Amino acid sequence: MSAEAGEHVIEVEDLTNTVGPGHVLHRDLNLHVRRDEVMTLVGGSGSGKTQLLRVILGLKHPAAGSVRVFGVSWDDSSFKKVRDARRRMGMLFQNGALFSALSVFDNVAFPLRERGGLSEKKIRAIVHTKLSEVELEPRHGGYLPANLSGGMVKRVALARSLALAPDLLVLDEPTAGLDPDRSERFVQLIKRLRADHRFAVLMVTHDLDTLNELTDRVAVLGDQHIIACGTLEEVQHLPHPFVRNFFGGDRGRRAFAHGTAAA
Amino acid sequence: MRVRASGEWTFNGLKARREEIVRSLAALRRQPPDRVAWDLRGLADLDDAGALWLARAVRGAQQVDVSPQHERILAQVKRGLRVPDVLTRPVDPLLPVVATGEAAMRFAAHVRDATALLGQIVLDAVALVQRPRDVPLREFSAGLYRAGVTALPVTMLVGFLVGIVLTYLSALQLKRYGADLLVINIVGVGVVRELGPMLASIIAAGRSGSAITAQLGVMRVTEEIEALAVMGVSVTTRLVLPKVIALAVALPLVAFCTDLAALAGAMLVSRFTLGIGPEAFLEALPRAVEVVNFWIGIGKSVAFGFAVALVACHYGLRVLPNTESLAAGVTRSVVAAITCVIVLDAIFAILLRNVG
Repeated sequence: MSAEAGEHVIEVEDLTNTVGPGHVLHRDLNLHVRRDEVMTLVGGSGSGKTQLLRVILGLKHPAAGSVRVFGVSWDDSSFKKVRDARRRMGMLFQNGALFSALSVFDNVAFPLRERGGLSEKKIRAIVHTKLSEVELEPRHGGYLPANLSGGMVKRVALARSLALAPDLLVLDEPTAGLDPDRSERFVQLIKRLRADHRFAVLMVTHDLDTLNELTDRVAVLGDQHIIACGTLEEVQHLPHPFVRNFFGGDRGRRAFAHGTAAA
Repeated sequence: MRVRASGEWTFNGLKARREEIVRSLAALRRQPPDRVAWDLRGLADLDDAGALWLARAVRGAQQVDVSPQHERILAQVKRGLRVPDVLTRPVDPLLPVVATGEAAMRFAAHVRDATALLGQIVLDAVALVQRPRDVPLREFSAGLYRAGVTALPVTMLVGFLVGIVLTYLSALQLKRYGADLLVINIVGVGVVRELGPMLASIIAAGRSGSAITAQLGVMRVTEEIEALAVMGVSVTTRLVLPKVIALAVALPLVAFCTDLAALAGAMLVSRFTLGIGPEAFLEALPRAVEVVNFWIGIGKSVAFGFAVALVACHYGLRVLPNTESLAAGVTRSVVAAITCVIVLDAIFAILLRNVG
């Protein structure tokens, strides 16, 4: 449906990103995310994965270069174009970032009410559909975020980010802070939702199981730019020290052995 | 010479045998270190505290025998000992100049950012005229209730008491000159033009200002602000603008009620210390206080309310994701808001010196 935006949902071109005066975090960085694919961003700690996400989300201005999501730059002078692009994108923050003053129901309803043009009755129906999609019951709608477990917060946040049926979902460490069992279930949940709704995903993760299970392509961030971008097979045998460490260690072997066995 | 250490060289074990060990180690230090051989194989237990003592003692020793399970911890502590102490930077003679300059730069940055925020909310307000559906009415009414209605009891109580004190003090002086009735002029103008708006805005800075900064700060810490921005909701339109407008509307109303409470206090004291009854007081009041003073007071409260909320939002949005920054932000917000109100008041006093 996003044919008008071309083949890519995210286009980052020649991005230079600084933190503080003079410290360059990214230089001439290029990243393209195709529609209908899952792209995973990996990189060592301090390589600026989260900062890159912030720039892509438009929370931070790049020092140079361009970022376009659905073909729209966040600096576009047309308020409507930027807003429409934002509404086609969902974001799952690492800690959920639920509005703590609002109930679960109101949190999920928030983007729908923001969008406008929907009756309260319709909003109710959509919210309850989304809640059941993330395996929550209608009674959870009345809870406040403070009364939820970590896993539930993540699922509510996922429901909220999917409320407007986005074409792109951005995930920051989707399984951080979940135990292996729940993390596995969360990954399966995302997989199932993706099968139903066909959205592109850009995610940052350290978890090889998550990566192996979900991703189509991997972009490796290091030395201030994307060192390599391609399928897991293409990327994991690169001679870069970070890549060797990340995929080649015991952890990596275990995850991939498990992955192939599962496949 | 051979030294054998044994027993529990742990934090708790050392506490019990501290003096004995200090004495023997002091004696050993008089020996040339390269003539001492250490046998640490008899240690029953070793932790960081014990290892630290031993590592210091065995420095430069000719030979150290240590059992394999303790070898690593001892080596680690030895490495830790080699880390040089943090060098104290030489005192810069220009430090006062540098510090003053940096403080000035920080202040300039605050002024710049607050001005940018002010500009942004003006732009937002203009944009809202074209999209009336997006006007954040709920947030505005919530702000009005919180900054206005709930502030009334405390503000009016303070106003009442200040009215009493001010009248009492003036009455004492005026009685001596037989100018009793002038108390109505002094207290009337003072309260309506200065004290009412001042008291209301200082209490608003403490109540609403700190609450606004803390709320925005926590939203920053929990990434709720980012979540809003990502959803395409303008943070300034949704959070800052309604708070600023609400306080600018609420504060004149609160100041008006404060005026009333302070005048009630004044009336009470006049009755008992000067014998001016309420009827006489109310009759003299309109003649003593020109109505323009009242409008000046109300107008100032609008500006004060605007300033307090703007300063509070400015500091709230600058909070970094840590607890220290939140606490500092709230403190600075209240201090800056009160300072701002007093500076504005002085400016108004100069500008309006010929009015009323």
